[in-house]
Amino acid sequence: MKSLLSGVAIAAIAMTSQANAHFQLLYTPHVMLDKAQEIPLKLMFGHPMENGHAMDMGKPVAFDVYFKGKKKDLLPTLKPIMWTGAHNEAHAFETSYKVKRNGDYIFALTPAPYYEGSEDIYIQQITKSYVNKAMPTDWNEPLGLPTEIVPLNKPYQNFVGGTFTGQLLSGGKPAAGVECEIEYINPAIDVEKNAFSKDASGPVPDSAMVAVTDPSGLFTFGLPRAGTWGFACLGAGPVTEHEGKALSQDAVLWIDVKPFQ
Amino acid sequence: MKQLIALSMFGLMTLGGPALAHTPVCACYDNGDGTVLCEGGFSDGSSASGVGLLVYDGDDKLILEGKMNEDSEFEFNKPDGDYHVIFDAGPGHEVTIDGSEIVE
Repeated sequence: MKSLLSGVAIAAIAMTSQANAHFQLLYTPHVMLDKAQEIPLKLMFGHPMENGHAMDMGKPVAFDVYFKGKKKDLLPTLKPIMWTGAHNEAHAFETSYKVKRNGDYIFALTPAPYYEGSEDIYIQQITKSYVNKAMPTDWNEPLGLPTEIVPLNKPYQNFVGGTFTGQLLSGGKPAAGVECEIEYINPAIDVEKNAFSKDASGPVPDSAMVAVTDPSGLFTFGLPRAGTWGFACLGAGPVTEHEGKALSQDAVLWIDVKPFQ
Repeated sequence: MKQLIALSMFGLMTLGGPALAHTPVCACYDNGDGTVLCEGGFSDGSSASGVGLLVYDGDDKLILEGKMNEDSEFEFNKPDGDYHVIFDAGPGHEVTIDGSEIVE
């Protein structure tokens, strides 16, 4: 009965339309490079669209970069930082990575499950971000994560007024009927100071923007504004419990959107 | 050429789009051991295997000529003094890289 109740609670949360979604950030300012360079990577957990409360991250379970099918462990390179949100400070992580060869770099983060007291559940957002140098290689390939969004448009090259399509996989198979929340990073990001700007001037819709995956696990979203946009497909992963409580194992993907000019 | 076409076809199939955007791409790196590595390709992701790579000295004299291998790479001994590299994928498809820009 208890597990049935918590199931109902999750369903209620997933179906509630509130514009305050949790989003695991995996951020670097420039995602299309033409020269070899060292890039900063910032990992923080927050509410990027309404510039809300920042959450403490535990030590991540995994953090890797994939290049031409080869995986490199970046977990040992992570340094703990304090991230300054608009309202509070929270534990976060940073590192940097030297991009040299041409191609697609896929960064994948599996954070520690986060206990959300207000919902009495754990949240774990398995997150992917992409960086490209000079030519495309394998941005369209899945990595084999427990759950992930595979992009069908280049994640680092999208334009305002265009659409973005992703395919949600769970255990490597298309996941149908899953609700994916959609947000963008509203505040300005100060990479030097590890901070969001106090004020964020972009629009915040009255209710959460969502897309539900079709029978092939696909969703499409029209891109109304330039910036860094994120998709979080909720409860998509195979693991549903952590330390005796319900776990929402989500798939998150970040894309870059620019004006078409 | 046949191989290049076959590879282009492969690129076409994997990327599912016509290989029209065909800007040549080349980057070279100083390996720090007296050798230089150049990697080539095209903006649509297709391979540059078999594409010519020319190395000229400071007086514009051709000192080395090679072809990109199956990984679209070519490695050569770093020349003394000034040099530049031309990735030659045909007329209008050349990329020139000055030796001073080739760093570790």
